[in-house]
Amino acid sequence: MAAALQIKKPVVRRRINWTPYLFLLAPLALYFVWIIAPTFYTIYLSLTNWNGVDPVPGFVGLQNFERLFTKDRTFSEALLNNVRWLVVFITIPTTLGLGLAMIFNNEMRGGRWYKISFYSPLVMSLPVIGLIWGWVYHPRAGLLNGFLQAIGVSSPPGWLGDRELAIWAVIIAAVWRQVGYVMVLYLAGLKNIDPSFVDAARVDGANRWQLFRHVVLPLLAPVTTIIVVISIIDSLRAFDLVSIMTRGAQNTQVLANFMYIEAFNNYRMGYGAAIAVVLFAISLVFIGFYLSRVIRDELEY
Amino acid sequence: MSRNKWFIAVLLISIALLSVASVLAQDNSVAFNSYSSDPVPRAFEESMVAAWNEAHPDMPVQHSIINHEDFKQAIRAYLIAEPAPDVLTWFAGNRARFFIDRGLIMDISDMWEAEGFDEAYAPGFNALATVGEGKYFLPTSYYWWAIYYRPSLFEKAGIEGEPETFDQLLDACDKLNAVGITPFTIGARFRWPAAAWFDYLNMRTNGPEFHVDLMLLKESYLDERLQATFANWQKLIDRKCFVESPAALDWQEAVDDMVQERAAMYLMGGFIVDSYPDEMEDDLDFFRFPIIDPAIPVGEDAPTDGYFIAAQARNPEGAKAFLAYLGSKEYQQAAFEQMGRLPTRTDVDISGATPPVQKGIQLIQSADYIAQFFDRDTTPPMAEVGMDGFMRFWDNPADINAILQDMENERLRILEEESE
Repeated sequence: MAAALQIKKPVVRRRINWTPYLFLLAPLALYFVWIIAPTFYTIYLSLTNWNGVDPVPGFVGLQNFERLFTKDRTFSEALLNNVRWLVVFITIPTTLGLGLAMIFNNEMRGGRWYKISFYSPLVMSLPVIGLIWGWVYHPRAGLLNGFLQAIGVSSPPGWLGDRELAIWAVIIAAVWRQVGYVMVLYLAGLKNIDPSFVDAARVDGANRWQLFRHVVLPLLAPVTTIIVVISIIDSLRAFDLVSIMTRGAQNTQVLANFMYIEAFNNYRMGYGAAIAVVLFAISLVFIGFYLSRVIRDELEY
Repeated sequence: MSRNKWFIAVLLISIALLSVASVLAQDNSVAFNSYSSDPVPRAFEESMVAAWNEAHPDMPVQHSIINHEDFKQAIRAYLIAEPAPDVLTWFAGNRARFFIDRGLIMDISDMWEAEGFDEAYAPGFNALATVGEGKYFLPTSYYWWAIYYRPSLFEKAGIEGEPETFDQLLDACDKLNAVGITPFTIGARFRWPAAAWFDYLNMRTNGPEFHVDLMLLKESYLDERLQATFANWQKLIDRKCFVESPAALDWQEAVDDMVQERAAMYLMGGFIVDSYPDEMEDDLDFFRFPIIDPAIPVGEDAPTDGYFIAAQARNPEGAKAFLAYLGSKEYQQAAFEQMGRLPTRTDVDISGATPPVQKGIQLIQSADYIAQFFDRDTTPPMAEVGMDGFMRFWDNPADINAILQDMENERLRILEEESE
C-alpha cells in the first residue's frame, strides 16, 4: 500500500528561469552605478585630500576625520544644529500632527478643506518654502514683525540676522511643513484602527482621555515609530532651507550644507566627503532601525 | 521586413554621415563656455558670437552658457577634461591664479604681444594678467566699489561736501544720527557686503600692500596691524554708523533703507544702480572710501572679469584668434555702449558715458592699487572663514581675538594643504 502511494518524482529538466534576473539586471545596474559605487567612492575620497583638480587624490588616512572631531569649530556648530533640529522635529511636529489627526479624524463641516490646507505646504518644494519664510521673517516689511509692531513691540528681533534666533527661525519653517506630513500619516493610522476596539472601550465606560491614552495611542505605536524615524532622517538631511535662507551664516550651519560648502565652494572634496561619511554613518543607525521595523512588520502579514 | 532593413540602413548611413560631418565641423571650431547667464549679458554675448560666426564660417564658435553658480563648481571638471573647452569666462586675481599655478591655464603672452594688447590695456590690468614671465588672462571688464549716498539727506543733516577723511566720515555719522537718519545701511545676510568693509578699512589703515599679502596668505591674521583695522571698525560701530542688525537683510533689501530715507549711505558695488529706482537716481551719488592715513597709497576694490584659454584646449590657435576678438577695441566698445561695462582698454571712447560712470572710471584710474574683492582675492575657504568672522565681529566686537585666531588657524591649514 505504502509503496503504491509513493509518487514517482517527475523528471524535470532543471531549467533556471532567467527572465526575472534579466529584468532585474537593468535596475540593479543603475542602482550600482548611481548609489553603491558613489557611496564607496565617497568613502575612499574621505581618506584623501583631493581638491577636485589634481589627477590623483593624495591619501591622508583618517586625518580628515581627526580634524573634524578635534579642530573644526564649524563642524561642532553644524552637529549641534542638527541635534537641535532633530529634537524639535521628533517632538513638535509629532505632537501637533497627532493632535490635528485626532481632530480631523472626526466628521466635521469643512474637514476635508482643513486637511488639505494643513497638508498643502508639503506640496511645495523646500526652496519655495525658504523664500516664503524669508519674507515672513523680513525685519521691516515681514508678516511677523509687521504683526509684532502692530501689537506694540517697539524693536522686534531681526530673526534670520540674529545669531541666537536664526537657527530656530529656520527650524520653525521646516516644522510648518512637517506637521501636515505627520498629520496625514497619523490619519492613515487612525483609519486602520479596528472600530470594535474603540466601541469595546466605550462600552467599558472609558472617557475620551482614557480612550486616547490606553486604546488609540498604543494602537498607533507602529505609525509613531515610523514617524519618529522619518523625522530623524529628515532632520539629518536638512539642507535646502538653510542653503536658501542663510547659506549657513549666523550660526545656522548644518552638516549637509557644511559638506556642500567644503566640497563645492572650498573645493575640499576629500574633507567634504569625510563630512558626508559622518552624516551617512549617523543616518545609517536610524535607517537600519527603520528597515528592521519595516521588514518585521511585513513578516507579520 | 524589407522596410525595416531599409530603415536600419538609412539610419546607419545618416549616423555615419553625421559623425563625419561633426568631426569635420569640430575640426576648426572653438568651444566657448561662459557664465554670462543673466539676461542682458547673455543676449549681448550671443549677438557678439553670432557676429563672429558670420565673419568666420571656417572657425565657428560653439557657445555654451552655464548658470553662474553652476559654472563656478563645474569649471574644475572642465579644466581637467581632455580636451577641455577652449575659451572660458572667469574672474581675474586669485581665482585665476589657483588654476595658473596648477598648469591648467594656457600662457597667451604671444597673443597679447601680437595684438598690441600690452600697450592698449591699462597698466593695472596688464599687471592683473601677468604671473611671473607669462600672461595668462584677458581682463575685459570691471566695476567699482564706493560709498553711495543720497545728497538730499546729507543736506538735511547739514553735511557739507563728501567726507574725504575718516574723521569727516565719523562727523557725518553724528550729524545724520542727530536728525534721526541711520548713517549706513548694510544687507549682510549672505555676508559678502561685510567683506567690503574689511577690504576698505584694512587698505586705508595698513595700505594695499599689506592687504594683498594678507589675501595671498603671506601675512598672519594675528599681525598687530589688523588690531588697528578692527579698532577703526569699532569706532564706526561705537558712533552708531550702522543700521541696527546688519545681518537681517539681503543686500538688495537694504537698498530700500536708502530709497525710503531711513539710511543715507551704503558701501556697495556699482551694480547698486540696477536695484535703485530709476526715477530716484538723480538723488544718488557716490564718493571714494575716506582716507584714514594720507601717507599710504590708495587701494580700491574693482572686481574684474575676463577670459582665458584652457591649457588642454583642443584648438589653441582658434582659441587665440577668438580671444583676440573678445579683447578687441570693437568688442569692448560694444560692451561699454550696450551694457555699460567699463573697458580695461585705454583706447575705448568713453565720452558718451554719463557723469556718474565717468566719475567711477576716474575713481579707479586714480587708484594706486586695484584689488578684486575679499572673496576673489583670497582663497575660497579663507573667504568663508573670514566672512564668518566679520559677521561674528559685528555681533560681538569683544570676540575679536578669538575670531582672528580662527582666521589664522584657517590660514595655516590652507598653507599646509598647499604644501602637501
